[in-house]
Amino acid sequence: MNGLFPGFLTLSAAMFALGALGVMVRRNPLVVFMSIELMLNAGNLALVTYARYTHTMAGQVFALIVIAVAASEVVVGLALITGVYRSGRRLDIDDLSEMRE
Amino acid sequence: MTVIFGIAAVLAFVGAVGVVISRRTLYSALSLVGNMIALAVLFLLLDAQFLAAVQIIVYAGAVMVLFVFIIALLAPGAEERLRPVELRVLVGGIAAVAFTVMVGRLALNGITVTASGQFHGGIGPFSPQAVNAHGQVQTLGEQLFTTFLLPFEVTSLLLLVAAVGAVYLSRHRRTLR
Repeated sequence: MNGLFPGFLTLSAAMFALGALGVMVRRNPLVVFMSIELMLNAGNLALVTYARYTHTMAGQVFALIVIAVAASEVVVGLALITGVYRSGRRLDIDDLSEMRE
Repeated sequence: MTVIFGIAAVLAFVGAVGVVISRRTLYSALSLVGNMIALAVLFLLLDAQFLAAVQIIVYAGAVMVLFVFIIALLAPGAEERLRPVELRVLVGGIAAVAFTVMVGRLALNGITVTASGQFHGGIGPFSPQAVNAHGQVQTLGEQLFTTFLLPFEVTSLLLLVAAVGAVYLSRHRRTLR
């Protein structure tokens, strides 16, 4: 049988749900970014779990690509946050809503 | 193996909770580091040694150092505590628990595994024994440069665009209006 397969997937789902919760309820953009990282990590865990239990390699390759995408996302996001900070505004997601329309 | 999985899973979960509920941003970042190290242990359990090393070096190393550096630079103050009685936190928490239970049930017997415990798509040729006999990094590299060459090249383009964008955004005398 598949042993710990459901355990890994459930942990991945729990991490993803916590990350989504963090994105929705926290106001600090830095914490929101960390919650996004958490969701990407949860996706990585699911990918590697499937790669291991279905004996394929695609999951591991895409986990590697997801890590690269997450790194570039962090770079651009942190540059934006420092830009907002230098313009003298409070770091609060709810205050930064003029890009809405 | 089950014991190690249990310990690493609890640590990863506690780290994930810590990211969301910590009042101070730095504590969130440290919780995320703990979560990522526990995740590297889980990758080792899943016979993905190379990814475990990459997880430690790139994520727990480079990305989190960048995060801590920015936190130290901006020094954001503590947020007010998340109160569970607040409606949005309560609804979000219930939705998160429901999602987790749902995926757990589906993983046991559902869309990916048949009633007899087999995967619907069957089993591929990359069993852990075969991969380790050929070499973990060799197998991953061969796949990356043959079957998955296009995603690899697109990722390199994305990294270039991100680097250029970050330099453009952090130029002097340019503030976001």
